[in-house]
Amino acid sequence: MNRMQNFKNGLIKDNPVFGLYLGLCSTLAITTSINNAIGMGVAVIFVLILSNMIISAIRKLVPDEIRIPVYIVIIATLVKIIQMLIQAYAPALDSSLGVFIPLIVVNCIILGRAEAFASKNGVLDSALDGVGMGLGYLLAVLSMSVIRQLLSTGVLSMTNPFNEAQVLFSLRLIPEDFTISMFSSPLGAFMTFACLAAGLTAYKLHVQKKEAAAKAAANSQEAAK
Amino acid sequence: MIGELITLLITSVLLNNAVLNQFLGLCPFMGVSRKKSSALGMGVAVVFVIVAAGIVTYGLYHLVLVPLNLEFMDLVTFILVIASLVQLTEMFLKKSSPALYKSLGVYLPLITTNCVVLNVCLVNISNGYDIAHMLVYTIGTPLGFALVLYIFSCIRERLEVADVPQCFKGNPIALIVAGLMAMAFSGLAGII
Amino acid sequence: MDFAQLFLAILFFGSLVGIYIFLFLKNKKTPKPEGCENLKADCEGCKDIYCPNHPTKEES
Repeated sequence: MNRMQNFKNGLIKDNPVFGLYLGLCSTLAITTSINNAIGMGVAVIFVLILSNMIISAIRKLVPDEIRIPVYIVIIATLVKIIQMLIQAYAPALDSSLGVFIPLIVVNCIILGRAEAFASKNGVLDSALDGVGMGLGYLLAVLSMSVIRQLLSTGVLSMTNPFNEAQVLFSLRLIPEDFTISMFSSPLGAFMTFACLAAGLTAYKLHVQKKEAAAKAAANSQEAAK
Repeated sequence: MIGELITLLITSVLLNNAVLNQFLGLCPFMGVSRKKSSALGMGVAVVFVIVAAGIVTYGLYHLVLVPLNLEFMDLVTFILVIASLVQLTEMFLKKSSPALYKSLGVYLPLITTNCVVLNVCLVNISNGYDIAHMLVYTIGTPLGFALVLYIFSCIRERLEVADVPQCFKGNPIALIVAGLMAMAFSGLAGII
Repeated sequence: MDFAQLFLAILFFGSLVGIYIFLFLKNKKTPKPEGCENLKADCEGCKDIYCPNHPTKEES
């Protein structure tokens, strides 16, 4: 029960990108297309799950003082492995994500979860937490890239990452003359992110108000009895 | 050659700015920019760490990794060097200059996970810079970061007392300001 | 990749890790100058409560 609640929180309410403002660099930089978003999201999920599991498995062996250095080394090794795999099997993804694959090492989400959760909980719990946070990240980058790609090119499209020539789907929703190319520039990235983050804050405030009203109603009922 | 270096300097500070164009270093950018004093402290610390880390990683890559055919170890090497340098700098500051430590020592551990540092180290290698270009790029990029961070903190101090809609308060409105700054800086593209 | 290269790689990696852990522990042991014990970064932007500088952390 608690696990499912944590999982659901990680998706929307405590979304690592829009709620906790972690992993901002990669979110803003790569969300120009759906391909990039899904590729990066999957890479981050992989690294999160594996790093959480490894760190949780060795948590009793690592002396407390040097845990941060050890975590950094583990995460760096995992990211290098993932980078080499991407370079080998999906080179198109590698050239479009560029330097942001190695920069997963310093993505605040991964080290943060490792220190906060994986160092204190079992292997299976940590893996599930990795999945939850990773899916939250994937949801965030996917929503940003859908908006940005749609408004800046008018087309929602995705190509097979393993085979660049194969187009999986391509829908033109906005005619070519009405595209706003601002959204592929830094200005558009910042604006989209700010609006989505404000949207999440508005949703959270709304939920808080409802809960407070319900609590006040329950209290006044009790007082009336 | 000098012209090329000056172009590289202007590009790395203003035109290809680490924060506004390359989207790096945003976590500390959002976190430390609420007050001018902390922004200044963070900026100076970042300049120092990046210059040191850039030079050391460049040297290590070309003098150790390439001759031994160990290029695949670049990522692990760089992150370990950066982390070690941060520890070394903090120790050095503690012992030699308490005043400096007071103003910027707290931000040093934060720089280990700062994207800008790792990016500068990686770009020095992937763009194949020689020593002169490497020095210019390594000094210019954190200067650009510090400049934008300081300007941003000045604006944010004013934002605290402005009338902002409830759901935009705090980080969202700051991000919109960052977007407007990006637009302003992109107007400088005509310099070169 | 032959064994000599693998051995060199592990040696290099191990020495880097060793240097880092050595510096990290040494840094932890050096005392902060007086007046600096209670420094807190003026940093409340991101809600990264796992960051070592977050205001809610107590000095451990």
